Amino acid sequence: MTTQISAPPHKRSIKNKNYQVLCAALFLLPTFFVLLSFSYYPALSAIGYSFTQWDGFFDPTFIGLENYRYLISDPIFWISLRNVLLWSVGSIIVSMVAPYLGAEMVFGVRSRRWQYFYRSFVTLPMIVPAVVTIEIWNFIYNPEFGLLNNLLRTLNLSGLIRNWLGDSMYVIPSLIFIGFPWISGLNFLLFYAGLQGIPTDVLEYARLDGCTGLRRMFHIDLPLTVSQIKLTLILGIINTLQNVTTPLLMTGGGPGYDSYVPGLYMYFEAFKRSNFGYATAIATVMFLMILVLTMISMRINRKDS
Amino acid sequence: MNDRIKGRFSQGFLHLILLLLVFLSFYPLLFTFLTSFKDNEQFFKSFFGLPNPIVWINYKDAFNTLLPYIGNSFYIAFVSIALILIISSLAAYAFSRLRFPGKEVLYIAVVALMMIPGLLQLIPRFAILKDFGMLDTYRGIILGYVAGGLTMAIMILRAAFEGQPEELFEAARIDGAGEIRSFFQIAVPLVKPTLGTVAIINLLNIWNDYLWPLIVTSDEKKFTMALGLIKFKTSFGNTTLYGPTFAGYIVASLPLIILFLVFMDYFMEGLTAGAVKM
Repeated sequence: MTTQISAPPHKRSIKNKNYQVLCAALFLLPTFFVLLSFSYYPALSAIGYSFTQWDGFFDPTFIGLENYRYLISDPIFWISLRNVLLWSVGSIIVSMVAPYLGAEMVFGVRSRRWQYFYRSFVTLPMIVPAVVTIEIWNFIYNPEFGLLNNLLRTLNLSGLIRNWLGDSMYVIPSLIFIGFPWISGLNFLLFYAGLQGIPTDVLEYARLDGCTGLRRMFHIDLPLTVSQIKLTLILGIINTLQNVTTPLLMTGGGPGYDSYVPGLYMYFEAFKRSNFGYATAIATVMFLMILVLTMISMRINRKDS
Repeated sequence: MNDRIKGRFSQGFLHLILLLLVFLSFYPLLFTFLTSFKDNEQFFKSFFGLPNPIVWINYKDAFNTLLPYIGNSFYIAFVSIALILIISSLAAYAFSRLRFPGKEVLYIAVVALMMIPGLLQLIPRFAILKDFGMLDTYRGIILGYVAGGLTMAIMILRAAFEGQPEELFEAARIDGAGEIRSFFQIAVPLVKPTLGTVAIINLLNIWNDYLWPLIVTSDEKKFTMALGLIKFKTSFGNTTLYGPTFAGYIVASLPLIILFLVFMDYFMEGLTAGAVKM
């Protein structure tokens, strides 16, 4: 009679096992449907398209390595690569140093309430839509009516007035300068969280040993937040490499090709000149560069955790 | 005593520098805010001054033009986030609670997508939408955001489910609850804050994005806030009307700023989690 109430243990576990597999299949189905059709397939087909000539309308024709051969000798591609390197190195330096110092200063504030106040205020500009920030800086740099040149005029520094985004010399520095004083950003929150993660007894010993201020920053804080620093470095490079919107809305790549970046070049080749094959070759090269950086960042992450 | 005076002095100095930095960070926004109440004459005559008289009509123009676009953005964000939360929490539950063959391999297949930049997928995604006649549809835009947001959502939610004690689910199983009931009645209600974090990461992504809707929409009625704002800015012909344009920037920023003030701690959590899990 007992068999009717509960099946033998091995039978029940098999039934349970099949049931779990069935549920798992059901639960994972939507995810893999979306990811296979709209993430994996596009990524693989982008690499496939990079070996073709394709106008985005008629069927692509296979041309082997022709796009890559052209890419290697394409001066615009090399210029755009140089520009993106200058831009990302510059913006990463400012967007790491300023928030780090900012986080140190806020961390140094004794009153909890003021710490919360500063942290909230530094976070708030991050919520402003990217397009709005870009357009406000577009206005700041406007040669005739812009905030920067008007400020220089008011301060009797008319000699410093420039056509910031229209001058080859100043266009990349101007892009780097966006967001001055750069304290307000994601990096601030990451560094601040890192500093808060330092055990309080370590800080207490340091204080008793008279290790304060800059000395503490160099000997204790920096070594103990090094994982946050490395992480933000790689993430910053990856994000800047993929940033198409800022140069598209601010300079359109100009003057000439002086603010062309590979992502923008890809966008123009595909959607303005209908060279989808060549555009995917640019995208594939970018992918390989970003892949190397991502793998480095994952290795750093694993080592630290 | 001497130390205390020194301490108070350096604290005062710290506040001075921090307040200055906060002011400099905010000045462009403040300038935008003040200019949004001026007409062009005031803009040229008192560039740095306060608006006098206040030109309210700028906001009427901005609201009337931008409201439909903001509505579109909210609709797209709402549906995308709902789909991301449902689909990813189901998958995350399977990866953390269920036993099935190939679990590790499948999870790696999800996580590996972290290494593929969106830029690589952009053109083929456009081509797929074109082939299926989904350009200029909300479905098309939403599909892009769902595919882009799933991986990180699954990673974050799996970690949250893994933190739940196994005994809870054992007890439910003994009570005869199936996996579907355990999922809805035990697992999901306990990770509500994490769902909030995932929602905010994706809300910020979608609200900030310009490139994807630019590529897949040409019908102005379907424009998102970002596209509509750029259109509004260039809609005055040769002379920019700074007042209405800047009022537009403020209007476009307001919805998220209000949400931020209400859900401040969720936002802080979402911002940092979103970065670290990349």
